[in-house]
Amino acid sequence: MVSRRALEALTAAITGAFGVAIAVSSLDNGIGWGTGGVESGTFPFMTGLIVTAGSLYNLARGLMAGRESLISAHDLKRVGALFLPAVAFVALIPVLGMYAVTGIYMFATLRLQNRVAAWRAGVIAVVAVVALYAVFERAFQVELPHGWLGAALDW
Amino acid sequence: MENLDALLHGFSIAFSFGHIALMVGGVLLGILVGVLPGLGAPNGVSLLLPVTFGMPPVSAIILLSSIYWGALFGGSVTSILFNIPGEPSSVATTFDGYPLARSGRATQALATAFSSAAFGALVGVILITCLASWIAGIALEFGPAEYFAVYFLAFSSFIGVGGAPPSKTLVSLAIGFAIAAIGMDTVSGSVRLTMGIDELVKGVNFVVAVMGLFGIGELLIAVEEEMHAKAVASRVEWREVVRTVAGMPRHGWALLRSAAIGCWMGITPGGPTAASFMSYGIAKRVSPRRANFGKGEPEGIVAPETADHAAGTSALLPMLSLGIPGSATAAVMMGGLMIWGLNPGPALFVEQKDFVWGLIASMYLGNIVAVILVMLTVPIFAALMRLPFFIIAPLIFIVCVVGAYSVSNSYLDVVLMMGFGVLGYLFKKLHYPLAPLVLAIVIGDKAEDAFRQSMLMSRGSLHIFVGNPLVTTLMAMGVALLIVPPLLRLVKRKEQSNA
Repeated sequence: MVSRRALEALTAAITGAFGVAIAVSSLDNGIGWGTGGVESGTFPFMTGLIVTAGSLYNLARGLMAGRESLISAHDLKRVGALFLPAVAFVALIPVLGMYAVTGIYMFATLRLQNRVAAWRAGVIAVVAVVALYAVFERAFQVELPHGWLGAALDW
Repeated sequence: MENLDALLHGFSIAFSFGHIALMVGGVLLGILVGVLPGLGAPNGVSLLLPVTFGMPPVSAIILLSSIYWGALFGGSVTSILFNIPGEPSSVATTFDGYPLARSGRATQALATAFSSAAFGALVGVILITCLASWIAGIALEFGPAEYFAVYFLAFSSFIGVGGAPPSKTLVSLAIGFAIAAIGMDTVSGSVRLTMGIDELVKGVNFVVAVMGLFGIGELLIAVEEEMHAKAVASRVEWREVVRTVAGMPRHGWALLRSAAIGCWMGITPGGPTAASFMSYGIAKRVSPRRANFGKGEPEGIVAPETADHAAGTSALLPMLSLGIPGSATAAVMMGGLMIWGLNPGPALFVEQKDFVWGLIASMYLGNIVAVILVMLTVPIFAALMRLPFFIIAPLIFIVCVVGAYSVSNSYLDVVLMMGFGVLGYLFKKLHYPLAPLVLAIVIGDKAEDAFRQSMLMSRGSLHIFVGNPLVTTLMAMGVALLIVPPLLRLVKRKEQSNA
């Protein structure tokens, strides 16, 4: 389980790191008034500083927050059950291509996670893949990634 | 009077069986691309552009603009049902549309959105009809300082509403500005904040950010809360559609106010996105039901939708008359115009009267056709809400991935979207407001560009923002919106402590 204090601190740390990265990175573009007017790093530099300062404040406030549980172990499990397969989905796109991954993902979430009958899960997965192909690849000619698998099959 | 005669002539051109059939086809295709994520009006328009080459220009523009109307309406559907705004201008619709749909009243939410949108579009077209030439003049008056003032006004009407802690609002807003700045800087041409990733030169597209923040983030929240689609009666809810439309006059004041904001922002040209955010922000300040905003208040759908469509419609005329495409769709349409042998620009109104007034007349008819068709589809879309959540959830996820990818055929965008999804989940859990973040991503770099161009013109002097009555008024309104409400709160608190 995750407490409010931990989550507040984690989020403030993430935003703070982003703020520092923005401020440092924008120094490359120059800040202040140059020959071409306001230099292009000025504005991002200021936003970076604001993000950093705000995050430090939020971090301090967060560390004073209560220890009550904000995400229970049960919640965390459910969020993970959606998020981890989703990460696997995204990671596999360059390998298997969008269509194969979509089919596998649909079938697996329905069959393994939700105990849908195999034939039903199969039908839904096939319909999803065919619909995706028909609409994007055919009708609107938007090519979705075919992956290494597609390349290996000469597609 | 002259305009009215011209309009009647326009109707005689637009109102034919063939043209109505083109409108129906265009609107249906528009609704389809509007509902599908990653696809939008530009896809539909470019798909049909080759078909139009053999047509007379009036028929061609009627077909293409009908796709645009259909896509505008279709874009609201996904905002309301799945919290995935298909276009920047329908982000503000998610704030109340999605909660209302989730509470089992999807039909009411959709019907409210469509009828307000229709009203906004109608006001926009009427305005165009009456003030055509005058509007074109106003848009020409606008320089960088005025642009900045309009964006400033949009920000200040939106910031500070809602009860989020100020430090979280500030962080959220500033992150949005920083994300908007990533990539090529349009003023100097230099590349910013890419952190060594070359692909980031193109910047972070708004669609990628909202798909993650709203789509994925909301999905994670929903599974955590073990959301199950409510078992709603599976009867087609026509009666609810009729009841909602009949009840619209209740929102009369909100409709008029939002249409006025929309037209003003469309002409000036702050654009539909700024208009919808501003209208929502102002409604949240002045509505008697403001306490319900964000929890599924119909007026929170009326305000952004009306302003969005009023702005979208009234922005079309300066675009035609000045020859400056204001959006991707308009750019494709303008390409078509030139292929048909027409020159967009002020001369169009003198040389091609039939074309211009035929188009304006078709805006009335096209919007009526669009409203009728889209209302007919409400029960179909509302039925989507009845699919079990364990089927909907993976589908929404796939839709987000495909949408993020197809924005610019980039795998990096999909990865970024996942990152935004985690951020959206964390922010939502800890009550960081997402709206300022999205607003800043959408119009942040335009505001920055306008500011820096003004600074170039004035050689660094801030006096340019009080240089003429127009810009002074705009800036003063913006400042007033920022400081008056906190002052009022302070006074009230003092009075209470004295009493």
